[in-house]
Amino acid sequence: MAQTFHGGIHIDENKNTAAMAARPFAEPKRVAISMQQHIGAPCVHSVAVGDHVDIGQCIGDNAGTLCCPVHASVSGTVVAIENRTGAMGAPVTHVVIENDCLHTVTPSLDPVTTSLDSLTPEEIVERVRKAGIVGMGGAAFPTYAKIKSAIGNAKRLIINCAECEPYITANHRLLLEQPEAVIKGIKILIYTLGVRKAVIAIEDNKKDVIELFEKHITDKALISIKVLKTKYPQGDERQIIYALYGKEIPAGKLPVDVGCVLFNPETVLSVYKALSTGMPVVHKRITVDGDAIKKPCNLIVPVGTSAAEIAELCGGTKKRFARLIFGGPMMGQAQWSMDSVVNKGTGALLFLSGVKEKQGQCIRCGRCVEACQMRLMPALLAAYSEKGNYNECEKLGALSCVECGCCTYVCPGKVPIVQYIRNAKGAINDARRRAKEQGGGKQ
Amino acid sequence: MKSLLKVSPSPHVRSVATTSSIMRDVIIALLPALIWGIYVFGFRALTLTAVSVGACVLSEFLFCKITKKEQSISDLSAVVTGLILAFNLPVTVPLWLPAVGGAFAIVIVKMLFGGIGKNFLNPALAARVFLFFSFPSLMSGTFVTPKVAKTLSPIAWGVDAVSSPTVLSQIEEGVDTNTVVDMFYGNIGGCIGEVSKLCLLIGFVYLLIRRVVSWHIPVAYLSVFFLLTFIFPRGEDEAINFALASLLSGGVVFGSLFMATDYATSPLSATGKLLYGALCGALTVFFRYFGSYPEGASFAILVMNTFVYYIDRLTKPTVFGGGANAKK
Repeated sequence: MAQTFHGGIHIDENKNTAAMAARPFAEPKRVAISMQQHIGAPCVHSVAVGDHVDIGQCIGDNAGTLCCPVHASVSGTVVAIENRTGAMGAPVTHVVIENDCLHTVTPSLDPVTTSLDSLTPEEIVERVRKAGIVGMGGAAFPTYAKIKSAIGNAKRLIINCAECEPYITANHRLLLEQPEAVIKGIKILIYTLGVRKAVIAIEDNKKDVIELFEKHITDKALISIKVLKTKYPQGDERQIIYALYGKEIPAGKLPVDVGCVLFNPETVLSVYKALSTGMPVVHKRITVDGDAIKKPCNLIVPVGTSAAEIAELCGGTKKRFARLIFGGPMMGQAQWSMDSVVNKGTGALLFLSGVKEKQGQCIRCGRCVEACQMRLMPALLAAYSEKGNYNECEKLGALSCVECGCCTYVCPGKVPIVQYIRNAKGAINDARRRAKEQGGGKQ
Repeated sequence: MKSLLKVSPSPHVRSVATTSSIMRDVIIALLPALIWGIYVFGFRALTLTAVSVGACVLSEFLFCKITKKEQSISDLSAVVTGLILAFNLPVTVPLWLPAVGGAFAIVIVKMLFGGIGKNFLNPALAARVFLFFSFPSLMSGTFVTPKVAKTLSPIAWGVDAVSSPTVLSQIEEGVDTNTVVDMFYGNIGGCIGEVSKLCLLIGFVYLLIRRVVSWHIPVAYLSVFFLLTFIFPRGEDEAINFALASLLSGGVVFGSLFMATDYATSPLSATGKLLYGALCGALTVFFRYFGSYPEGASFAILVMNTFVYYIDRLTKPTVFGGGANAKK
């Protein structure tokens, strides 16, 4: 029996690209490397216009803060350093590199040539930081910081292979194509974290991966596979932990508070690559799909490749193209422009037709309440938020909302419930910060 | 500057269900009972239903027009209100009665409170009770047997008919097994859409399959109702007969399946729905036993409508990670 959680929704999976092997795309004309591809402090760029850079060369860092360095993903010349709208909508400094297509790699790579246990966990953490590894499932939290906080606190290592968002098959392909590397990466993490074993948590719609890993895993006591029901949002860390162990992460806490630490498989692969080859994160696996792209596919692209170049590579967009989404259709971010670039946390580029739904009214059908795996009352939260009554939203637990979008997906009235809750969360957090500042000022 | 793309907040995909698709399903679910109503009571049942639906849709249309609100009749909820109101009427009422009721339901009960989802009383039910108190002789004095009903003119403004007592008003004198079977299939006098429990059940099962409604409210409602009438029977008949006859007479089944489950006027959570249904069942028995009218379902549901806000509060689920389980 596949394990799962309460609530959530069954959606059209649209995993159209599951059988399409990831193709490397090495020759974008230009890449724009964002100085903020992670949660934390932005990087300070260390190159100037006109500089030559090689693949893997560090071009921005902000050591001493919560920060992951960024690296050149192609070789070539820095042609511009400019402010652009980042994937999340805020302005971010981007280093634009013109690709010379010579694919020269920086000589400064420093692979580990000795055996793993000659390194201390601290040394591995530092290497992970230098390689610029972030949570590649979308959250983009600095991996080094996650490992650091988990050492000694986490007993359970979980590899989150749920990939529950519709369309996206990037991780599915990765697991099929590089099982050995992923397993080696898991072993590095087991050693670094000092845990006894790891669990690969995967949805039951990826039977081929499950079979493959059953074959490749030699020590089943060290790495085990746990099959989860295919349901959205199975990939949410709270729901994975609940499905596996029946534990609820207390509101406002992290997985590590219940002794768990989770990694995305591409993050695991990046850790392995960073140690074995010394190569930092310069490539990203993405799924390109949607009803408005001519040739859906899986790609491995240099970080910083623009949506325009990817669309061109995929046969161009169809006439009905109206929306570009970075990430999955449930939680992804809509983009203003085709100049938007792939970041380390970008899992998919979806080219979709226009919105057909018209916003209506809540009819109190209760579907959102049924769907909410956080056990909130989304209909009420949206109604209070619409009226600006954020106190009531706070009492109803608005801050526990993970913005997975289930409520809004099922809403027959097509009310943008999540957006109302986001507004409420923003207002509640603002109010709390203000109260804190005032309280601090008085002391 | 290159053209900008359209941006909207996530999620970027939506389910196909819409308010109108849900209402369409409810209309489909009500059709078996309507067809049966026409079959036993003749075409006057259809005329009355048409007038009721027409009045509801027209009232909503005119209300939106006059108040310059966006037209909302395409969500089909006014059609549902019209159907349910008509189902609550005896076939002998004059044609103007459903028109008055429909206008009351839509304008006073629904639109003045903000339209669909915002009304705190079930419009059709409130209109039924409004008609009941305003025109008591028309609403309750003139139930006729199916045989008589078929002789009524489908288009006459008003009709004269000799009323016959309903099962509900005689229930304490005892009913035989044949009558109970007739009550289930709907071969008895009563309101247009209420008589056939079989047809109502077929419609409700359709709604369950289509996942338009959940089982919670009707199951809680009917089981509490049945249990209470079984434990505290009235009259000389056996308890089980009395309880069955009570269940199958009047508007309990129709009320529990199609009126207590009205989205706008029922609680949101599953626990809330169970509590609400159970209280509706208990109140129905209370009104039937101690009220001065034979019927109790309408009043019970209307009274419970006003408690939905509190039930929602009371049965608010514990937020994930906020309960005892989270501290394990």
